[in-house]
Amino acid sequence: MSALFSGYRRVTMPLSREDARSLRAGDMVLLDGEITITAGLPTHHRILACAEAGRDPPIELRNGSLLHLGSYSQDTADGGLEVLYMNPTTSTRFNPIMPRLIRHFGLTAVGGKGGLDAACREAMAEVGCVYFSFLGGGAPLHSGAITAVRAVAWNDLVAHYRLVRLAVEGLGPVTVGIDAQGNSLFETLSEQAQDRMPEILAQLDRDRAAAVRPG
Amino acid sequence: MPITQDAVKTLSAQLYDWSLRRVPDDTKDALRRARATETHEGAQRVLEIMLGSAMRAEKEDRFVCSDAGVPVFRVTLGAEARWEGDIKAAIRDGFAELVDRIKPPLLKHVTNPLTNERGYFGKDMPLVTWEVESGVDWIEIACQPKALGSGRWAQAETFSFPSLAEIEAYVMKAVMQAGSQHCPPVIIGVGIGGSFDVAAKIASKATYRPIGSLNPEPVLAAMEERLLRAVNATGFGPMGTGGDTTALAVHVDYSSGHGYTPVAVCFNCWINRRTRARLHADGSVERME
Repeated sequence: MSALFSGYRRVTMPLSREDARSLRAGDMVLLDGEITITAGLPTHHRILACAEAGRDPPIELRNGSLLHLGSYSQDTADGGLEVLYMNPTTSTRFNPIMPRLIRHFGLTAVGGKGGLDAACREAMAEVGCVYFSFLGGGAPLHSGAITAVRAVAWNDLVAHYRLVRLAVEGLGPVTVGIDAQGNSLFETLSEQAQDRMPEILAQLDRDRAAAVRPG
Repeated sequence: MPITQDAVKTLSAQLYDWSLRRVPDDTKDALRRARATETHEGAQRVLEIMLGSAMRAEKEDRFVCSDAGVPVFRVTLGAEARWEGDIKAAIRDGFAELVDRIKPPLLKHVTNPLTNERGYFGKDMPLVTWEVESGVDWIEIACQPKALGSGRWAQAETFSFPSLAEIEAYVMKAVMQAGSQHCPPVIIGVGIGGSFDVAAKIASKATYRPIGSLNPEPVLAAMEERLLRAVNATGFGPMGTGGDTTALAVHVDYSSGHGYTPVAVCFNCWINRRTRARLHADGSVERME
């Protein structure tokens, strides 16, 4: 297992603005420090409501991270909390809300899986923020990197929607999907696939012509 | 000896539980083959991390993904099978008991689509497709939990007398819409023809087929091969961050229909949650995967 984690740059969370600006799309890194996570749309609405009313959310987000990771946390016998497992969710669901949150809180890192859109990418370039792509289906690895639960807020929501602050060590490796210079792997790859599509369809035609004909 | 309600209850719950903790062997093999041929360095690493996650889930008996999805079953009743009791209730009760005892506990994913409230139970849950197979006396239960990567990006469209070129272009349109978002490399199921519901059922069933198995219809075998090349030429790659491996397999099946031809396309994410077992008349359980 250890070979999986060797050779990666490690960055400290919350990510400093300088570190955020030093990362490039395609880089792979491991995360140490403290992260704030949620997988809930209602949670995003509440954070947005805080921003609009000028109130602080129950867990400080300013110059911090907001990652689209869902977790199952439960009480421990000694009165603490433990996270049993954690994994990313699809970030694109939050596209309409993220630009406002990125700007208002000056986030340095967002993340999840599947990327964010151009409006988010622009907000990220403005403030100096990166997007980390986590492995979906990576719960055994992600969960193993959690060292402590620092805070859980909005307990009226289902577990994976709550806003949770965690201490992590060696979380990842994660891929920088969008960097603070305005480069997005997701947009580049989508445009590239779009550009390739006429040739892909032409190749399908050639392959079909060479293959067995129906009935 | 009739197959009992209790046997169906126990097995259906086990199949859901097992599916959460283990990536099928054919899928791990396909990921290894992809790692060997992948030319994109980042993608090589992502494939390695995927295999590392799969192995660690098995070793430590962990869930591979935190989104256990909603329980989805396909039950095939042998036309000569005999059973006693309410086997429909058995699947519902099996899931309810599993929710109480499973470790670690499940997150609440069952959603009321009218209110978006989430819990463990809801109308028509678990989702079950019932089929009948002639000439056999067993009951087969297959489980494929559905969440975002394994469910969200499915789509269907109805055409009039489409050419194969139009059908394949539609598959590519669905692949483009999913883009980087469905936890690739995926297994793609394509259902052609029948009626609207039948096309979707065929597509979904096609994703259960083992990776590397040959389609017995030569026309479809050739279509699967060229579509797999086409999907992987897009370049979305593992986790959609670039590479040669966007799909591990494309499986196509069809049904005759009217000429208005529905085409359904669905995806199963890289962890390819999928389990299957048979209950036999002698009371034995045969686990296939």
